[in-house]
Amino acid sequence: MSSLATMLKAPGALHEVDDDPEAVFEFLCSKGWSDGLPVIPPTPDRVERMLSFCDRDFDKPVVKIPPRFGAATPIRVAANAVMAGCKPEYFPLVLLALEALAEEPYNLYGTQATTHPCTPMLIFNGPIAKEVGINAGHNAMGNYFRANASIGRAVRLALVNIGAAIPGTGDMATAGTPAKFSFCVAENEAASPWEPLHVELGFPKESSTVTVIAAEGPHNINDHESITAEGILTMVAGTMTITGSNNAYYAGQPCVAFGPEHAQTVAGDGMSKADVKQWLFERATLPMSRFSKEGIERRFRRKLPEQYATAPLDAPVRMVTKPEDLIVIVTGGAGKHSAYVPTFGNTRSVTRALKRADGELVKSIQELKRG
Amino acid sequence: MAKIFIVAPDAPMEEAEQLKSRRTLSSGGIRLGVLDNSKSNADHLLNLIIDGVKKEFKVDSVVIKRKPASSRPATDQILDELAKEADLVVSAMAD
Repeated sequence: MSSLATMLKAPGALHEVDDDPEAVFEFLCSKGWSDGLPVIPPTPDRVERMLSFCDRDFDKPVVKIPPRFGAATPIRVAANAVMAGCKPEYFPLVLLALEALAEEPYNLYGTQATTHPCTPMLIFNGPIAKEVGINAGHNAMGNYFRANASIGRAVRLALVNIGAAIPGTGDMATAGTPAKFSFCVAENEAASPWEPLHVELGFPKESSTVTVIAAEGPHNINDHESITAEGILTMVAGTMTITGSNNAYYAGQPCVAFGPEHAQTVAGDGMSKADVKQWLFERATLPMSRFSKEGIERRFRRKLPEQYATAPLDAPVRMVTKPEDLIVIVTGGAGKHSAYVPTFGNTRSVTRALKRADGELVKSIQELKRG
Repeated sequence: MAKIFIVAPDAPMEEAEQLKSRRTLSSGGIRLGVLDNSKSNADHLLNLIIDGVKKEFKVDSVVIKRKPASSRPATDQILDELAKEADLVVSAMAD
């Protein structure tokens, strides 16, 4: 295999700039390689350190990212990870997320280019999330934690810089979402009364996975009063039922992220995850009459005729087309809050496990350290 | 000021594959293909385009295909049928 120095001799692989952080930032912004926030300059030394946790060929594309279908080689992804502020041990998780996003069911082309404000929500499960410090406790969906912030940011930078999801040309989002800066969480498996997401999906408990969802930003579900499963789920269903959601029209997989306290109350009444999904499938509905007359005629009756062509105005419009489509996780710290995450709709979640080049599950991120 | 190198975080656009076959119009007229992306007003816009083409050119046939969902690529079956039945294809979206 060629050395990194040899690979970086390829045309266009390097740019010479003034040795000044502001000058580097100005240069990157002038080229459109930015999310608008300051970055760490991706010097060859830093990129090499980032690649110290990469067991792939540095110059072989891992995936191609639409709409440009740019080749995401480890070198290019590492440059974005450096810019984002990642530690080298985060890098395999950035690559893993990009691989998941590139799987056909996710519909990366559609989610990159749409006018809808969707962005990848990264949900990490398994021991490596804890090992590298992805926060699953207080403010799990918010700021402050380097792993959450920089892993999600690195993925978004790669989508922009390698895939050309540039607002107004490749990313046509009408208004977008602040979640496009980063949306990366771990499931709080220790505080969950249920099996974690990856185990529910058939992965071994000891595996480390990422699940990617083409998500809107989260909407809070505040419920300090309910002390029963029915009470909390009533509030969840109420938050899920909104007319402007793509999930009212498409077979998407929205996510309910229970706070641990809500989850314990629901599970304490004997409800499994499957029970929760069934309950919300049946009750997270709106009567068709809540939509506009034009929406009823042009969307429901004309585009979904099998369900709604002759349906009465009080026909239920469901937010998930089948119970198992609802993704249920537990994340966050103490407090009587949960979150609802609507999706792009025409997308499916994808879950991938972190594996070594020989196909074995990675038990510790240190297994991927080179040398 | 001293200079440093940084690694490019972008990727170039790959060169498009060259067309594998040349399209030649039949002597009679155009076999016009239309790919409707299924957005609400795409059919109206495309019908206007079909009418406009018919005014300017001799059109032998029009074949209209509709994507099942606007946000997913056209299926291989749709693309194969258009390749077989049309000399040229107009694809447009409207909302």
